[in-house]
Amino acid sequence: MMDTPAALNDLDFMKALLDLVIPPSASGDLPGAGALGLSPAVAEALQADPLLGPPVEVGVQAVQEAALSQHAEGLAGMTPEAGAKVVEALLATHPLLIVGILRYLSPAYYQHARVLEGIGEPPRPPFPEGFDIEATDAELLEKLRARRRA
Amino acid sequence: MSNEPVGVLVIGAGASGAAFAWSIADAGMSVLCLDQGPWMKQRDYPSNGLDWEERGMGDFSTSPNVRGLPADYPVNEEDSDISPLMFNAVGGSTILWAAHFPRLTPKDFRMKSEDGVGEDWPIDYETLEPYFALNDRMMGVSGLEGDPAYPYHEPPLPPLPLGKSGNTLASGFEKLGWHWWPSDSAILSQEYEGREACINLGPCITGCAHGAKASTDITYWPVAQRKGVRVRANCRVREITVREDGMADGVLYYDEVGRLQEQKAEIVVLACNGIGTPRLLLNSKSKRHPDGLANSSGRVGKNLMFHPYAMITGIFEEPLQSRRGPMGCSFWSHEFYQTDRSREFVRGYSFEAIRGLGPVQTALWGMIHGLIPWGEDHHRSFARLYDHTATLLGIAEDLPEETNTVTLDAELTDAHGIPAPKVTYRLSENSRNMLAHAVERAKEALTAAGAVETVVDPLMRAAGWHLMGTARMGRNSTTSVVNERGQAHDVKNLFVVDGSVFVSAGAVNPTSTIQAFALYVADSIKKNIETLFDDA
Ligand SMILES: Cc1cc2nc3c(=O)[nH]c(=O)nc-3n(C[C@H](O)[C@H](O)[C@H](O)COP(=O)(O)OP(=O)(O)OC[C@H]3O[C@@H](n4cnc5c(N)ncnc54)[C@H](O)[C@@H]3O)c2cc1C
Ligand code: SF4
Repeated sequence: MMDTPAALNDLDFMKALLDLVIPPSASGDLPGAGALGLSPAVAEALQADPLLGPPVEVGVQAVQEAALSQHAEGLAGMTPEAGAKVVEALLATHPLLIVGILRYLSPAYYQHARVLEGIGEPPRPPFPEGFDIEATDAELLEKLRARRRA
Repeated sequence: MSNEPVGVLVIGAGASGAAFAWSIADAGMSVLCLDQGPWMKQRDYPSNGLDWEERGMGDFSTSPNVRGLPADYPVNEEDSDISPLMFNAVGGSTILWAAHFPRLTPKDFRMKSEDGVGEDWPIDYETLEPYFALNDRMMGVSGLEGDPAYPYHEPPLPPLPLGKSGNTLASGFEKLGWHWWPSDSAILSQEYEGREACINLGPCITGCAHGAKASTDITYWPVAQRKGVRVRANCRVREITVREDGMADGVLYYDEVGRLQEQKAEIVVLACNGIGTPRLLLNSKSKRHPDGLANSSGRVGKNLMFHPYAMITGIFEEPLQSRRGPMGCSFWSHEFYQTDRSREFVRGYSFEAIRGLGPVQTALWGMIHGLIPWGEDHHRSFARLYDHTATLLGIAEDLPEETNTVTLDAELTDAHGIPAPKVTYRLSENSRNMLAHAVERAKEALTAAGAVETVVDPLMRAAGWHLMGTARMGRNSTTSVVNERGQAHDVKNLFVVDGSVFVSAGAVNPTSTIQAFALYVADSIKKNIETLFDDA
């Protein structure tokens, strides 16, 4: 087992980072990913991934160090614009950073009840209620029927 | 557990094993089926929870290498352009399948006569017709009768609704004057045989929690068990054993607690799919069969065919209700199915219209294609895609090639130490040209349907759903493994009933044809039981 680097375990820093990756929507319908408290789940999943985990951990560490060099409170103390610049500047040397985070952040975020509501989906599993869908277009069906093989 | 000798031993409880066992039960012999996987429970399927999409990338992934469950064996796919996919349980890969249920067309059985490539099958569509129909009734198939691409047949249930995404895509085909037809689907549009109609959950390929999709654990197996067939789950067969005279006499298998057991049988039937079957034959070496069982032709594991897939997605301005409804079952098109010598390939492809992705998959797909960025623009980009996509899959007919193979890996083994399969597969130029053609035509259809943008995956890697050709049938024992009745040329009491026997792949999903063939083999054993081993 690899030791958890400080950055991935630093809740304030990770909250700020995840809020940069998926920020709150302008309308306020959708929360930022950090505010949803998803960072422990994302960190755990990354640490269990032998391919994406190590490069992302190194990248996250680099973001933390760069942010601290600019602001005493690090990423958590910076504006979103300034924070985004720090991350962008590191993407050339850490190309898997965002891809790796999103691999695990996307499932955690888009299956969260508040997010489902925000994108217009009922905050429930598909089963048992299911969904209604539009019937087959009657005109299209008539056209097919006319072409049927006897 | 009693290992009393049985009349018929079926290995593999998936699509073909279930159909075969149900039918052969009428022969009056004792029938036992062994499967390395467990019985599944609908309450455990991912669509019971909010994390349904995430579990589709984990314990319900379509790849055995990703799942790595006790029932799975690893497959070395390093030298393959396409990842082989399957599920190992009672019900086999039908636990996860999409249940799109086309039949091969009559011409598919005559590839060499029609187009001068590959080989003809030793049986034809007409011979299988009654078994297609019987299988449609057993599985519970919905569809619209009269598709001009096929001889007339009547699915037992009316077609599933196309939904807004299907209606939209179909309008594109109409505008272009191209063939399209609602899919035959092994999904219930109405209540049938005690099972309820589909309620449009969407994630059929992580198992149907509602039981509307036909997986053989809920279609064939309960009826087969009522006829007296026994199923032993969590039992992995290591090898088929042979008598002095070279006939099969049973199997060695690991039971659910890992003990090696011996099971004797008069007839052994392989239904382990196009990878599991050649693997088991190659693992069944003996003095008399040094290159593996039934392999005097050297064709076991050769001629592996997938259906190479291209995925072409249209982005629409209108919302399409696209993630709702059975994902893989909307409509098909055979517009480009037949050989046209003016094109740069022989044979052809079909289109399968599918429904859209859930939110998690939309986010990941958008990220991979550079359509959903991180940061400020994330939500606007997500909203542009989510519920606004509809997809066409181009399904190419792969030609059989001896260089595409299933062999035994020199090092990799499963949890019982049994050598694992290695898949070596390279996409041919013919298939590549075919997919390129499909991509351009799909773009036309999507644009005609109103798409404002199209996104292309020219060859889907994770699309090795259809496993065919690795124990092919034929009349000539030097070039094929089994005869037209699924009987091994070399071992008269050994039969193969899964997709391994396919001589050609057609350009449609194979399971309807696999199951019809399994029913046909069972019937031919029943009819010929007195003379079955005569020339042994
Ligand atoms: C995600 C997905 C979607 C699909 N969608 C479609 C579709 O829409 N339409 C279509 O026609 N087809 C589809 N398919 C393919 C379809 O599922 C297969 O064609 C069909 O299930 C093959 O039937 P089979 O009996 O040959 O093998 P399977 O159904 O794969 O069953 C083989 C069984 O053998 C068992 N087995 C293997 N080796 C051993 C051993 N050594 N000992 C004991 N047991 C063993 C396995 O555990 C398994 O249960 C899909 C497949 C997948 C994975
Ligand atoms: S869409 Fe229908 S078949 Fe598919 S999982 Fe849902 S209920 Fe089952």
